Amino acid sequence: MPSAVPSPEPVLETERLILRLPQRGDFERYAEAKTDPDGTRYTSGVLSRPEAWRKFLEYPGAWMLQGFAMFSVVEKSSGLWIGIIGPWQPEGWQGTEVGWSLHRSAWGKGYAYEAAEAAIDWSFDVLGWQEVIHSINPDNVRSQALAQRLGSRKRGSCSLPPPRENVTVDIWGQTREEWLARRARQQSSDHQATRAP
Amino acid sequence: MIDTGLTLETGRLILRVPQRADFEGWARLGRDAEAMRHLGGTKSAFEAWRHFLANVGSWRILGFGPFSVIRKADGQWIGRIGPLHPEGWPGDEIGWTLAREAWGCGYATEAATAAIDWAFASLGWTSIIHCIAPDNTASQAVAKRLGSTLQGVGRLPVPHDQDPIEIWGQTREEWFARRAARTV
Repeated sequence: MPSAVPSPEPVLETERLILRLPQRGDFERYAEAKTDPDGTRYTSGVLSRPEAWRKFLEYPGAWMLQGFAMFSVVEKSSGLWIGIIGPWQPEGWQGTEVGWSLHRSAWGKGYAYEAAEAAIDWSFDVLGWQEVIHSINPDNVRSQALAQRLGSRKRGSCSLPPPRENVTVDIWGQTREEWLARRARQQSSDHQATRAP
Repeated sequence: MIDTGLTLETGRLILRVPQRADFEGWARLGRDAEAMRHLGGTKSAFEAWRHFLANVGSWRILGFGPFSVIRKADGQWIGRIGPLHPEGWPGDEIGWTLAREAWGCGYATEAATAAIDWAFASLGWTSIIHCIAPDNTASQAVAKRLGSTLQGVGRLPVPHDQDPIEIWGQTREEWFARRAARTV
């Protein structure tokens, strides 16, 4: 049984971004993001480069074993790696997650929203998921705002799998039907907008 | 792109790129306190899974990583053996970790020999190391059987930076000289 990576390898394109599988050259910027106290406050906390490397390898590893994982997000205009966004479901995880983590240089531009929309579309369309969740630190208001903007609602909270069982996260999410209804509404309003005088 | 069908075969063992089905054995090994004694202690299922992902990710990103070792006689996954070089590591390592039920049969030496042959032939490595705890006599015996010698005290990157470690190893020339001598 060979690698579970789909063939051809998925590449998603949005107006300003490319989402593709992680590559070795992404690590320098990934390590920058993981050594940034502000960028990691609500997730892993600051990691050393060796720790960041081990965590970075989990994404390509998950692609090979599960056939899906978070995508590397690249800004089209600069070619820079700006973050990691997409489907994620490690062993024992609390559901079918679409998560996001952006390098701080890419904050405040709507990139996370743009990439997460594409990743959620892909997860429902290609993986056939029935719902998406986002596990968010209760103090992380920026990610909560993004989840809301994506149409997800807070459903409750739960603790992470051991050994991080003392960490509680809020679970945000929505069903496939809710996402598809939202997409249909958007397409209809886009259509009306283009016909507006 | 790596060849995920890569397979090495020895007398009693198959070495291949890890697959999803190997995780059950991998997780069981992580729960075994005796097998994990020199490797930072037991691992939860979640920790074992993330470690498994990182090892497989190494294959995709670097083109090498630890092989899954399968015993031909019964098809069982018995451990992980092979090349690794994470960020901050003190050298090009050939490492081995076997499930306890596979200890004492010479499997580690047999599999490591195949992995070292492959690493020197395919990765262009000029030397190899093995990072071994000072009181891990079983692994020291494997290193000696492979022809490696103790090179000194070493230090691993975080989160293993407090673990006492000795570095064993040998050069490519030493390895091939020994292989040539054995086949004469």
